[in-house]
Amino acid sequence: MRFRFGEPGELTAPSDERLAVGDPRVMDFLSRFARRLLAPAMARRHPELGSLGYFLRPAELARATSRMRRDDDTYVFPRGTVFHVPPANVDTIFVYSWALSALAGNHNVVRISSRSAGAAETVLETLNATLADADPVIGRTQRMVTYGRDDRLTAALSAWCDLRVIWGGDSAVEAIRRHPLRPSARDLTFPDRTSWAALSVPGWHAADPAARRAAVVGFSNDAYWFDQAACSSPRTVFLVGGGPAEAGTARKEFLTLLGDVVEQRGWVIDAAMAVEKRVNAYGLAATGAASALAFPGNAVTALSLTGIDAAPRRWIGAGAFPFAHVSTLAELVPAMNRQDQTFSHFGFAPDDLRGFAAALGGRGVDRIVPFGSALTFSAIWDGYDLPREFTRLTTLET
Amino acid sequence: MSVFTLAQEAREALLHKELAELTEHHRAHCAEYDRILTASGFTSAATVADLPWLPVRLFKNLKLKSIPDDEVFKVLTSSGTTGEVSRIYLDKAAAATQTRQLGATLQTVLGRKRLPMILVDSRGILKDRRSFSARGAGVLGMATFGRDHAWALDADGEPDVPALRSFLEKHGAEPFLVFGFTYLVWLHLYEVAREHGLDLSNGILIHSGGWKKLVDRAVSPGEFRRRLREDTGLTRMHNFYGMVEQIGTIFLEGPSGGSLYCPDFADVIIRDPHTWAEQPVGEPGLIEVVSTLPTSYPGHVLLTEDLGVLDGIDDGDWPGKRFSVLGRLPRAEARGCSDTYREAS
Repeated sequence: MRFRFGEPGELTAPSDERLAVGDPRVMDFLSRFARRLLAPAMARRHPELGSLGYFLRPAELARATSRMRRDDDTYVFPRGTVFHVPPANVDTIFVYSWALSALAGNHNVVRISSRSAGAAETVLETLNATLADADPVIGRTQRMVTYGRDDRLTAALSAWCDLRVIWGGDSAVEAIRRHPLRPSARDLTFPDRTSWAALSVPGWHAADPAARRAAVVGFSNDAYWFDQAACSSPRTVFLVGGGPAEAGTARKEFLTLLGDVVEQRGWVIDAAMAVEKRVNAYGLAATGAASALAFPGNAVTALSLTGIDAAPRRWIGAGAFPFAHVSTLAELVPAMNRQDQTFSHFGFAPDDLRGFAAALGGRGVDRIVPFGSALTFSAIWDGYDLPREFTRLTTLET
Repeated sequence: MSVFTLAQEAREALLHKELAELTEHHRAHCAEYDRILTASGFTSAATVADLPWLPVRLFKNLKLKSIPDDEVFKVLTSSGTTGEVSRIYLDKAAAATQTRQLGATLQTVLGRKRLPMILVDSRGILKDRRSFSARGAGVLGMATFGRDHAWALDADGEPDVPALRSFLEKHGAEPFLVFGFTYLVWLHLYEVAREHGLDLSNGILIHSGGWKKLVDRAVSPGEFRRRLREDTGLTRMHNFYGMVEQIGTIFLEGPSGGSLYCPDFADVIIRDPHTWAEQPVGEPGLIEVVSTLPTSYPGHVLLTEDLGVLDGIDDGDWPGKRFSVLGRLPRAEARGCSDTYREAS
């Protein structure tokens, strides 16, 4: 086992250190960490760290803390000990959940993947650089470690924690869940998710070129960062409203712009990914889920679905976009289920979106956000209010 | 008698007609294939290179066949390290044709008579059902082209020098056949023959299975030939390239070595993996293999995940294209959220 952050020592040993919800020592550490992330050189090298720095700036931390506090006779305390198992390849997500948990005053152990690279390594370097002049309590209560296949360690940490945070999809959740928790502890799980995009056909036609371009730029970030494989990456695009001809034009204009933007960014889809997309697209055609395939270049693959039920819920490659046309958002409601996470949109009236959210009635979809915000992490994630999950309550009646 | 006779122009004319007919045949008899071609907007192909290719991995994900269930005579499977398996459905006619054409291809270098044969493998691979996979099937398939077989490895996978010596005493003075996977030949035949001074000069070596393990040991195809020739006397060596998804078709190295050649009923097209256009001689790309043998499943035009390069056209040992295999395309991996498991369990 390798200590990547924090004071080396027995991870599951009892500790006398106490942190409070919104502890000033944690706030101080996180805001100085954020300042380093927002340094221009850093943001140039890893743009995603800029988003993280923004999320951790003092105003945001204060807002997150205020969400944890209550003004009635209810005391909010840290949940206790938290064991985080983040995904290996989404470089920065572990920092968000750890930071919120630390802000809530918990003692944390984060298991960092041995395959972590790039931005994750930079994050660890920056955390350690910030630690040098932080209160020693940070290093004693916040630890990040890397270890290989070691069931005993995972079992020990599972038996130690009050809350276990499992990212990484269904198979990760199932694998980690083989290790029992204490009776009072529980899991916060982030299983396999599907995310969608919806484009209003009348909204597209009404938008001016600048607005269209901005929408496509936002959408391309949502889709191409993380190879369209993050849980929030949009995959199928629903064209909503208008007649078939108008929908066809909107789709064509959208795809042309998308191709331009991707080319301008210099994003290249390599041969292996191009083959992967062919395999998946042909598979969808073979089973009758897709009636038309278009490969204008390796970067963009477009598929026409034979119906909304044919929309794939698994990853089909980077830059692969199934399309389906519906008359109204309401038509999509029956197709949504609990696996569905983010629904990103362009061109709708706010009331249409409110109507859609209400009609969902909890059957699925956790976030409805505009194009360009699909990957923006928020304290409410996957339907959980994370600051609340990371705390517990003591009530008082006098 | 040879199946390496057609110059490129004549070959393409013949293949274009037969493959176009096969495309229509498979469309009519395999609904999945028809849907793929319809969705891709395919109507007709003016050249062999215009024919619609299927990614070879599709046979791992889908059941693709152009014969009714009750005519399935044989189902071939490939072994994959990832647990995905290709399924190839043959009827009686297709099974007979593939055996016949494989035989005809090999006879070009072996002659018509069955030769005494050394199998550079262990009899053990046929016993262990779990490992009886592509390797076992490959060895068994090739064994039928020889007689009086000797196994170069004992049951524990150790070189069986007495078995080799006794084979060579009996058959070493006349032509004999040697078959094995390239890296096994290098590790367990070449090194043993050199060490024990075995004379393989009458041998004809047929080998396959990729160079990766040898390239890791810094042994190039040229080095392989040179060292075998100098240290064991073996001069006749033919590497081949083939896959279960196009069973019966193998691309065979010519007598002077270095390039693989296409039998008359097959061809290769090297594609630029960015534009998917046909690459000229000397430009590497993905290997597409075409063959008229797949009549019972739509595998007549396949895009492999192997990288290769054309070495020349109508300018080598045999007519037609000659090419080399350069390696494998790495599998695309998502960098998404769902990947904790591989390490976390």
